[in-house]
Amino acid sequence: MELIETTRQALRLLFAGDAELWRIVWVSLKISVGALLLMSPVAIAVGYLLATQRFPGRRIIVVVTQALFAFPTVVVGLLLYMLLSRQGPLGSLHLLFTQTAMMIGQMLIAAPILVAFTLSAVQGADARVRETAIVLGAGRWRTALTVLTEVRFGVMAALFNGFGRVISEVGCALMVGGNIAGMTRNMPTAIALETTKGEFAQGVALGIVLMVLALGVNFAMSWAQGAGAQPQ
Amino acid sequence: MNMASTVPVALRDGAGDRDAHDRVVVSCHGLKRSIGAQVILDVNRLRLARGRIYLLSGPNGAGKTTLLRVLAGLDRASCAAFQFDGEAIDLAQYPQSVRRRIGFVHHHPLLFSTSLHANIGYGLKAAGVARAEAKRRIADAIEWAGLGGLVDRPSRALSAGEKQRVALARAHALDPVLYLLDEPTANLDDSGREMVTRLIDAIAAERRTLLIACHDRDLLGLPGVVRLHMMNGRMEEIL
Repeated sequence: MELIETTRQALRLLFAGDAELWRIVWVSLKISVGALLLMSPVAIAVGYLLATQRFPGRRIIVVVTQALFAFPTVVVGLLLYMLLSRQGPLGSLHLLFTQTAMMIGQMLIAAPILVAFTLSAVQGADARVRETAIVLGAGRWRTALTVLTEVRFGVMAALFNGFGRVISEVGCALMVGGNIAGMTRNMPTAIALETTKGEFAQGVALGIVLMVLALGVNFAMSWAQGAGAQPQ
Repeated sequence: MNMASTVPVALRDGAGDRDAHDRVVVSCHGLKRSIGAQVILDVNRLRLARGRIYLLSGPNGAGKTTLLRVLAGLDRASCAAFQFDGEAIDLAQYPQSVRRRIGFVHHHPLLFSTSLHANIGYGLKAAGVARAEAKRRIADAIEWAGLGGLVDRPSRALSAGEKQRVALARAHALDPVLYLLDEPTANLDDSGREMVTRLIDAIAAERRTLLIACHDRDLLGLPGVVRLHMMNGRMEEIL
C-alpha cells in the first residue's frame, strides 16, 4: 500500500502549493521555454534556408541535422561540461552549474529538432505559396514569413517536439546544472536524484506535472494539426 | 535563316506595328530555357503590344506555362535581348521594378490562408503602399471583380471560379502593365468562365496587355485578340 500512500502525499504536495515543488516546476519551465525562445528564430531560419536554397554541402547538413536527433543528451552535457569547466576554453565565463548552462544545453539539444521539423514543413509547402508571394512583389523576408505562416502548423510541431524533448531531458541538465536546490534543480533532475534519497512523494508529484505537460503539449499539437489539416 | 518562318503571322501584320515604338510592352529575341540537354523553350522572337490579348495555344508540354513562368521571373532562361516597356532588361537579374509591372496568375491560383482583404492587399503591402491608399485600392479591386459577397468567406471555401477572380483582383490591385494568365478559364463552370472572361475583357479595355495560355474558344471572341501557337517549345505559325 506504499504506492497509494505515496501518490496521496504527492497529490497533497501538488495541491497544497508546496513552495519547493513549484519552484522546481518553475525552474524547468523557465529554462526550457527560454531555450526554445532563444533557439527557435535561428533554427527556423536555418530550416527555411535549407528547404529553399540550393548550395554545395546542403545535403550533408540535412543528413547531419537528422542524425543529431539521436545525439545522446548526456554527451551534449559532457561536451558542454568540458567547455564550461574551470579548465575549459569557456571556463572564465563561470557558467558551469548555472541555469544559463542548462539553457545552452537545451538550446543545443532542441536545435536539430527545430531545424529538421521546419525543413520538412517548408519542403512540404505548396510551391505556389512562395511563387505567389514572389510574383506579388514580396522580398526575401516577406516571402519567408509568408511561407512559414502558411505552414505554421508544421512550425508549431517543431516547437512542441523541441519542447517535449528538452522539458524531460535529464542527462545534460544534471551534468551542467548540478541539481542545486532552488537554482538548477528542474523536474527531471529532481525526480532522478530525489527518488534515490527516498523522496518518493516529491518524485511522483513532479512526475505527474511532467506527464501532464508532455501529454498536454502533444494533445495540443494533435488538436492544432487536426484543425489545420482541412483541405485548401 | 528560319527566323521569319517562326514569327507568327499575327505578329508580323499586326496593326500595332504602325506606332510600334511606344506600344510594344515586351520585345524579346532568342529566349531559351533548357533542362539538362533538353531545350524546353526556344522562342526566336516575341512581341507583345499594349492593350492586346494574346492567346497562347498548343498541346500540353509545348512550353506555354514555361514561357509564362519565364516572363514572370519564376523560371530562369537565357535571352539574347529583352525589352520591357521600352527598357532593356537583363532577364537573369529580373529587377523588382519589372516584377511590379507584371502580374502572374497560376493555373490553379493559390490564396493565402488569410482574409480576402489580406490576399488582395498582399502585393500593395509588399510595395509599401500607404495604408489608406491600400485600403481604397483593395476595395476597388473587390468591387472590380464582384467579390463583395465573398469577403467574409475563408479562402478554402471559395470555388475555383471565385479563387480565379480573387487572384485576378489581387493582380489588378497592383495595376500591372502585363498580365500572364495560365489557363484562367480551365475547369470552371459556365458562370465562372463568363465572369473571368468579362474581367479579362475589362483588363484589355484598360489598355493593359494579357498573355494567356488557353484552350478556351470563348476568349477568342474578345476584341483585340491575337493568337499564338506553341509546339515543342517554339512559336508556330498560325495557318
